[in-house]
Amino acid sequence: MDFRTTAVAAALCLGLFAQGATAQTYKIGASLGLTGYAAINDRAWRDGMQIAADVMNAKGGILGKKVELFVEDNRSEPQEAVVGYRKMMSNDGVQIFDSGCVSAGNFAAAGAVVRASIPMVLCSILPARPEEQKWAFSTLPPPRFEIESRFRYLKEKTDIRKIGILHDPSPYAMMMKDLATKIAPDFGLEVVATASYKQDDSDMSVQVGQVNSAGGGAIVKMGQGGSTVTIAKNIKQLGLEKMLLLASLDDGSVFKQGGEVLGDRFLFVATSVQIPEAIPAGPARDAAGVFLKLWNEKYPGRDPNAGARGWDSMSIIAKAADVGKSLEGPAMRDALEKVSGFQGAITVYNFSPEQHVGITANPFTIGVARDGKLVVK
Amino acid sequence: MTSPSITSTRSLLRTLAPVAVVLTVMGIALMSSGYVVTVIGFAAIYGIFCTGLNFFMGYTGQASFGQNAFACLGGYGSAILCGGLYWDPLPAFFVSMAFSGIVAAIIGYPTLKLRGHYLAMATFALGLITYEISIEWVSLTQGYMGYSGIPPLGVGKFELVSEKHQLIALTVILLVGIWISTRLRDSRFGRALRAIAGSEPAAQALGVNVARYKLLAFVIAALYASAAGSLFAHFIGFISPEVFGGAMVVQSFTMLYLGGIGTTWGPAIGALIVSMLPEFLRGLKEMQDIAYAIILVSILIFAPRGVFALIGGWFRPKAKEGDAP
Repeated sequence: MDFRTTAVAAALCLGLFAQGATAQTYKIGASLGLTGYAAINDRAWRDGMQIAADVMNAKGGILGKKVELFVEDNRSEPQEAVVGYRKMMSNDGVQIFDSGCVSAGNFAAAGAVVRASIPMVLCSILPARPEEQKWAFSTLPPPRFEIESRFRYLKEKTDIRKIGILHDPSPYAMMMKDLATKIAPDFGLEVVATASYKQDDSDMSVQVGQVNSAGGGAIVKMGQGGSTVTIAKNIKQLGLEKMLLLASLDDGSVFKQGGEVLGDRFLFVATSVQIPEAIPAGPARDAAGVFLKLWNEKYPGRDPNAGARGWDSMSIIAKAADVGKSLEGPAMRDALEKVSGFQGAITVYNFSPEQHVGITANPFTIGVARDGKLVVK
Repeated sequence: MTSPSITSTRSLLRTLAPVAVVLTVMGIALMSSGYVVTVIGFAAIYGIFCTGLNFFMGYTGQASFGQNAFACLGGYGSAILCGGLYWDPLPAFFVSMAFSGIVAAIIGYPTLKLRGHYLAMATFALGLITYEISIEWVSLTQGYMGYSGIPPLGVGKFELVSEKHQLIALTVILLVGIWISTRLRDSRFGRALRAIAGSEPAAQALGVNVARYKLLAFVIAALYASAAGSLFAHFIGFISPEVFGGAMVVQSFTMLYLGGIGTTWGPAIGALIVSMLPEFLRGLKEMQDIAYAIILVSILIFAPRGVFALIGGWFRPKAKEGDAP
C-alpha cells in the first residue's frame, strides 16, 4: 500500500469515526447574552445548563447519547443572535435550542429555526407569531405572577392603596407594566403614576419624585438590574421615610444591595431557590436541594435563580426525550407538549399543546434582605 | 517608462478586481452553509449602507453619526407596510426610500448649516431621537417586542424564499449601488462634492453651491441607508430598535475607515472584512474581541487610508521619473 492509499484509507476511517462520534451525541445549542445587558442572567443560565449536562452525561446522557452543548454569545443583540443561531444550525448541527433571555434575539431567529423544524426551550417570553410559538417553550414565569405577588402583599400586609409603577422599556417590563395597570383595581390599588427609565440611567429622582407627589406610597418596579439599587438610593436621598420599593425578580446581589439601602422597606419577589428555607418539605424541596447542592459546591455564594432555570430547562428537554423516546425535532416538539407536572428546581412545569409557558402556578415569595441574607417577609 | 497598454491593463484590473473579489466571496457563500450566507448577507447590507454614507463622509468630507436613523425609517417602513398593511415588498421598499429622502431633506436643510463637531452632534442626536421613537411609539413599531412577520424580498407572487436567492438579490443591489456611486463620483456632481471636502470656501469661490450639494449628498446617503434598513427587514423577517442603535453607527464607521473612506469600493470591502473577521475568530471565544481589536488596529496602522486604497495602489500606474507628482 503506497502513501497515498494509506492516507485516503486513514482519512476515510477518521471520517467514519467522526461520524460515529457525532451520532453518539445529542447537540443542544444556546444563544446567550454572555455580554451586554442580559449577561448576569444568561451567564448563570449557561452555568446551570452545564451542570445539568455534566450530571446527565455522568448518567449516560439523554436516550443513551452524550449531551454536547454549543453556546454562542449574542452580545444581547438580535443581529448577533441570528448569526449565532445560523452557525449552530448549519455548522454545528444542533438538534434543539435551549436559549437565554434576549427576547429580540430569539424572536429574530425564530423564523429560520422553525423552518428547520428545531424546537426551542427559552428563558425569554415566546415569539409573537403563532407558527413560531408552536415550536417554542418558555420557562419564564408569566408576568402576572410577579405582579400579583406584590399587589397581594400590599393589599394584605399594608394600608397603602396608591402606588407608582417604574418600568424599563424591555418587552417583559412593558408587558408587566400594562398588566399591572390593568389588574391593580382587582387588588384595591390605584396606579397614580407610571414612569419609565433606561437600564443605564444613573439617577431616577425625577421618576421617584413623580410617584411621591402623586401620593404614591409604594413603587412597584418592573425590570431588572442595577437600576433597582439606584431607585432605592434615590428614595433614601429624597428622604421618603415611608415609601416602599417592591422589586422584580432579579439576582440576589441586587436584592442584598437594595436591602442595605432601604432595610425592610425594600421588598422583592424571589423564587424558591433564592430562599430555600421557604420551601415546604416534599418533592419541591428535594428537587431544589439536588440542584442547590451542585450549584453551591461549584459556585459558592452565587445567586442560584437563573442557574436553576437553566438547569430546569435542560431537565425539561431530558424529560421530553424520555416521554417521546426520540430526539428528532418534530418528535421532541410533540413530546415537550406532553411534559406536565414536572417538578423542577424552581417550580412545577406544565406544558400542553395549548400551554407553551410551562409555569402555571405562582412560584414567588415576597422576601427582604437582612444581614446579607434573603429571608421571607 | 510605462507603456499605454500596461497602464490600461492596470486600470482595467483596478476596475475589475473589486468586482471579482465581491463576486468570488458571494459565489463561495452560495456554495456554503446558511451560516456563511447570513454573514455575507449582512456584509452586503452593510456594504450598501456604507456606500451611501461614503457620499456624505467620504466624497463630501462631512460627519454624520446619525445615518442609522434612515436605516431605521427604511426598516420600519418596509416592516409596517409589508407586515402590517400587506404591501408587496418592492413598492414598500421604494416608498420607504422616498419617505427617508424627504425626511433627510427636511432635517438636512437646517442641520447642514452646521459644521464640524456641531454637525456631528446634531446628526448623532438625530440617530438617538429616531431610536427613542422606535422604542416608545409602541402602537406603530411594537417597541422592544420588535416587528416580526416581514416577508422576504419579492415581486408580486414571486418571493425569494431561500436565503441564497436573497443573497443573489443583495449582491446585485450592492453592485448597482456601487456602480451608481462610481458614476456619480466621476461626474460634475462628484467633483463638486470632492471640492467641498477639500475646502468649502474654495468650492464656493469656484461657484459650487455648497449648501445644495451637501444636502444632496445627505439625501443620497439617506436613500442608501433606507434601502439597507429595508433589506435587513426582508432578509431576517424581524426588526427591533436595537438593530438600528448605536452599534450600527460604530460598525459602519469601522467598515468605512477600514475599507477606505472616499473610495468607491472601500465601503463594500470594509463591510466584508468587518462582517467576516469576527466569524473567523469565533473559535477564540473570550479572546475573540481582543484578537478582533488587535487586527483592526493593525490594519489601520499599516493601511491608514483603508484596505482598498492599499490594494488599489498595487494596480496604480507607477509615476515615471521626472513626472510631476
